[in-house]
Amino acid sequence: MLPTLLSQVANGLVLGSLIGLIALGYTMVYGIIQLINFAHGEIFMVGAYGGLAALTYLLPAAIANQWYLALPIALVAGAVIAALVAVAAERFAYRPLRDAPRLAPLITALGVSVALQEAVRVFYPDATAALPFPSIFIEGTLEIPVPGGTVPIKYAGILLALVSLALAAGLQVFVDRSRTGRAMRATAQDRDIARLMGIDPDRVIVLTFLIGGALAGVGGVLYGGYLNNINIDMGFQNGIFAFTAAVLGGIGSIRGAVVGGLAIGLVKSLGGQYLPGGTAYDYVWIFVVLIVVLVFRPQGFFGETERVRA
Amino acid sequence: MTTVQSPVPASAAPVSGRARGAGARGAAWLRVAGGLLAVLGALLPWATFVLNEGPYPEKATLQFFVAPLGLTGFRLHLALLGLAAILVSVRAVRGRARIVRALGWGIVATSLVNGLYITVEGGGLGAITASGGSAAFGAVVALIGGAFAAAGAVGGGIEPLPVREWRMPWWAEWLLLLVLFGLLLLVVSAVLTSGGQGGVVNPYAGAVFLSFLAAAGGAFAALHASGLLTWLAAVAERHRVFSIVVLLVMALLLPLTGAGTEYWMTVAANIGVYAATAIGLNIVVGLAGLLDLGYVAFLGIGAFVAANLSGAAASEIGIRLPFPLVMIISAVVAGLFGAVVGSPTLRVRGDYLAIVTLAFGEIFVRSAQNNIGGLTGGANAIPNIPQVSAFGTAFNESIAIGAVTLPAGVLYYVLIVLLVAVVMLVFGNLKNSRLGRAWIAIREDEDAARAMGIRTGPIKILAFLIGATLAGLAGAFFAHKTAVVAYDSFRFLESVTLLAAVILGGMGTIPGAVFGASILFVLPEKLREFADYRLLLFGLALVVIMRFRPQGIIPDRHRRTELAPVTAQDPPPAKGAEA
Amino acid sequence: MSRKRAVVATAAVLAGALVLTACGTNRSETGGTAGGSCDTSKGTLVIGMIAPLSGGLSALGLGMRNSAELAVDQANQKCTVPGYRLAFQAEDDQATAQIAGQAATKLSSDPNVVGVVGTLNSSTSQSVQPILAGKKIVQVSPANTNPTLTLGEAPTTDPKRPFPGYFRVATTDLVQGPFAAQYMVQKAGKKNIAVIDDGKTYGAGLAEQFAKEATRLGATIVAREKVGEKDTDFSGVIAKIRPLNPDAVYYGGEYPVAGPLSAQLAGAGLAIPLMGGDGIVDADFVSLGGRPGDLATNVGAPAESLPSATAFIADYEAAGFAEEFSAYGVLTYDVTNVIINALAKVADGGAFDDAKRQELIDAVQQTSLDGANGKVAFDQYGDTTNMLLTIYSVEGSDFAPVETGTFRSS
Repeated sequence: MLPTLLSQVANGLVLGSLIGLIALGYTMVYGIIQLINFAHGEIFMVGAYGGLAALTYLLPAAIANQWYLALPIALVAGAVIAALVAVAAERFAYRPLRDAPRLAPLITALGVSVALQEAVRVFYPDATAALPFPSIFIEGTLEIPVPGGTVPIKYAGILLALVSLALAAGLQVFVDRSRTGRAMRATAQDRDIARLMGIDPDRVIVLTFLIGGALAGVGGVLYGGYLNNINIDMGFQNGIFAFTAAVLGGIGSIRGAVVGGLAIGLVKSLGGQYLPGGTAYDYVWIFVVLIVVLVFRPQGFFGETERVRA
Repeated sequence: MTTVQSPVPASAAPVSGRARGAGARGAAWLRVAGGLLAVLGALLPWATFVLNEGPYPEKATLQFFVAPLGLTGFRLHLALLGLAAILVSVRAVRGRARIVRALGWGIVATSLVNGLYITVEGGGLGAITASGGSAAFGAVVALIGGAFAAAGAVGGGIEPLPVREWRMPWWAEWLLLLVLFGLLLLVVSAVLTSGGQGGVVNPYAGAVFLSFLAAAGGAFAALHASGLLTWLAAVAERHRVFSIVVLLVMALLLPLTGAGTEYWMTVAANIGVYAATAIGLNIVVGLAGLLDLGYVAFLGIGAFVAANLSGAAASEIGIRLPFPLVMIISAVVAGLFGAVVGSPTLRVRGDYLAIVTLAFGEIFVRSAQNNIGGLTGGANAIPNIPQVSAFGTAFNESIAIGAVTLPAGVLYYVLIVLLVAVVMLVFGNLKNSRLGRAWIAIREDEDAARAMGIRTGPIKILAFLIGATLAGLAGAFFAHKTAVVAYDSFRFLESVTLLAAVILGGMGTIPGAVFGASILFVLPEKLREFADYRLLLFGLALVVIMRFRPQGIIPDRHRRTELAPVTAQDPPPAKGAEA
Repeated sequence: MSRKRAVVATAAVLAGALVLTACGTNRSETGGTAGGSCDTSKGTLVIGMIAPLSGGLSALGLGMRNSAELAVDQANQKCTVPGYRLAFQAEDDQATAQIAGQAATKLSSDPNVVGVVGTLNSSTSQSVQPILAGKKIVQVSPANTNPTLTLGEAPTTDPKRPFPGYFRVATTDLVQGPFAAQYMVQKAGKKNIAVIDDGKTYGAGLAEQFAKEATRLGATIVAREKVGEKDTDFSGVIAKIRPLNPDAVYYGGEYPVAGPLSAQLAGAGLAIPLMGGDGIVDADFVSLGGRPGDLATNVGAPAESLPSATAFIADYEAAGFAEEFSAYGVLTYDVTNVIINALAKVADGGAFDDAKRQELIDAVQQTSLDGANGKVAFDQYGDTTNMLLTIYSVEGSDFAPVETGTFRSS
């Protein structure tokens, strides 16, 4: 039974680190403008399709077949496209509503989410069903021997987890140490005071969307390369998980997003294995955990205080 | 039908009172010329050849109208809008520039819809200009006319919205309202039936419908600009009870109009289901300010409860209770679930609460899909739910009263109209009650509300409970009308649609939710030929509406200030006269 | 306001299209109603369709629409129905029951509609059936698999036909699942089988019937798992079944999930074959990760062995549709022809009116058609009598037929 347990833990950690990476975008945007950017999951999806487009239509097969060439190009393509879409959404959909009551931008975000998903379905060739995604890393599976068997992890999965955690750590350092990071924290605390201190909040907000979008785009490409298939619904589903993770970890906290993501990943894989109902109810367990955590610790794991907004 | 606001920002500075001299005279001529061009455009041919799918309606292909009285359809609308523009331009009418501007935009929109449609169907601009030796410049001329009229109106300066304060004896006002609501009924029927049912016999149904909307929108905007609509709304407000009764009667009379077909009865019944549910959601979101992203689950719970108690062969319980009892049980069960879902509100607030409700919604769908407790039929759903019947008449049959044969499904329609009326009544009374004021207080500032002695916890849960009860009522109806209850009718997108209905119509208002639900159902039905783009347009529409009119189409008077953009110059007054 | 917005949005879309078309026309000489040289003196009859034309399932729905349209166009060219022009009207059901009900009401309230092709989902058919039955409009589905649609609430113990005007050519779960089980257990010798489905009507039903028959034949169902219909990551399910050492996986569902599932099974070291139903028979199954040796059952004899099938594929390509005919195209083409041929028989004797609707249903009941997917005929429940199924196996980049057999419930 040990190999199964460890396999599920490994699956959970791989999925969880991806969820954490997406959750960074939610948590940063929420931290700064208190918006649940529902469309962020779709940004992740758009990034995956962007990477796929680069691999299929841009690169000659000779390059696309060499993973060390294809990987960076796909990552950059995915990150750039996702970041562009995220910034465009901010500029044209969210910014005009910055001072509107909080329900308005939330509805807008839902609208952007539906529109992005449909736009990909309608305009990307054959996107109505799942599309194959080429391998962009060393193919094959690492079999880790443990007592009683082995634990298989795909190399691409290891890459996904490591890159996600590294990016999150890098973001933490960036926000803690850099001048821009300080500006972001200041804007998150009080936009007006930040403005008085000479910070341009618009610039900071655009930057937040840009970084969040690029991270999600990288996640989309790595996820596609890990699973070798993408579909237009992957954004919504993982987006909900990621937002859940961000809330679990405590909105606004980068550490929290990662820990929340890993927790979600583990709940899904271990819940599907051991909890009643099995895989049919693994989604249900994620939401049950979310509700329980929110009721008993509404600020999440790392949240400081409950934000009073209604 | 309601007013359609012109999206033009009132950018032109008010210049009334200033002498404008030649500029003003030029603008006046521009307005008249615009009206004339519109009329001329209506008389010119519109398409250079018979389109491949069949001739474009209203004899648009290569026909000059030598008989101006023979105009029909969109050409008639254009001619009327044009004539109105001329008339208003030459006479001193209060709010003249606003009226002409609205008419101008109506002309522009109408000619754009028809012109673009012919162009696309005809494969290029040749279809509306000159091709193969024949010329058809109707679209271009009318478009220019509309633009002239609008430009002339704006150029002449926009005065503030006129306020009319006529008073009449009560019986005259009652009569006026009666006629008004009668007209409203006819307009609703005309909107629904415009373009026919579409399909192969009538390939241009979508275009005709859009064109009708554009023209009617222009006309309503003009009415609003004249201040008449505001005045009528005030009259209706003075005779509130009378208006409500007349509106209810008019709604019940819809089956007697042109829209009284089985098809529209079915669509209207579905609208009613979503309207009732949206009103329930309006309590939670609009009044108490608690965002619920999984609301459709309560509709689902009500529907599944009703399905199980309907005697449908697939239900595990296998008992059949009378429909009124089933409705009550569905409502109670859904209400209990509402209280459960609402209970985290004691500790969770704001966006966190939204996520909790979303989580409940997802849990519901998953559980229903997995046939939890054998109650939902799982992937096989619960089919063949028997029709509601009373006095030996199944509700899906057509009935004959005297010489009048009413379409099939009319009984469902009547039932849902009454149901929605009851739900509206509940909502209206709650809103103005002590409880409603408590909800609004919580919405505005929960801590302040608590400080004022409101027991916020139970009151918030009560909002969920009552809202869910209303959805459960609708669910019981839904189960019997649709005859099948399947988990995939209650997905997240449906919750978003419901929320969109509430927001689109106007949060916290009674007609708003009904109106929003109507639009979200009627538009896709009328525009089935654009089905490919349905969701894309839905998403974009949400974005655009939030951008330009976040307070909804029928804003709540108290709420208006809160949701309206800070820069809005003239928040339009409430228009309470919608069914 | 929103109406205006909708107008603007629509106008924007149209304007976009306009830019692409430049300044010309598509004027054709006939201009207007097609029909050519046929006698269409008696007017127009409409064949309707209800299928998901928007949203996630539109790939399948649009393929159905095009295939039916092709059949109707061909009938018009060949003057199949004497005296009438046939028209085709497809309505979107958004894959939900209540919209399907609206579409059915819309079609059924048009007196010219004689028959309806569809639906795709069983749950939408459940709401369409009673509405069309009320007007005696014949309905033939190429895709519904839920046994209760034709056999009533107790399909195995007490079959009762609920709607005499409803027919289908898709084989029910009761046929395809056991057929697959017989092959897998008796011919391929698999004894420890993991069964996975996507929780939808088609997949869950198929998996259930497969599991029943496989157990009866002495195999062990080592796991019974579910995946989401839109999932891309199946590592959790795979890790769960891996220690149970299955020697095969049966998947109830469609190719967008089945392909990646197969690939990820192999990735986790489970080099065992995956088997599915007709929903996975698609070349995309392989491009999405289906491996050589994966198996599938499909209805009818292999397309290559039927000249009518190749003719359909050629005609479909010649018609230049934007979408592929996808999984249900061939069957849709057949059922449309079923209605058309029955109509030809009925309309031969005079004008079509409401009194003829029962005759039309009877004519469909007596159908005997050599369709693109093989012989089409119906039993007393409205199910296809074509019990011919073919086992396919992945070879190279597509499925290749292994053997064709007739299903016998043993």
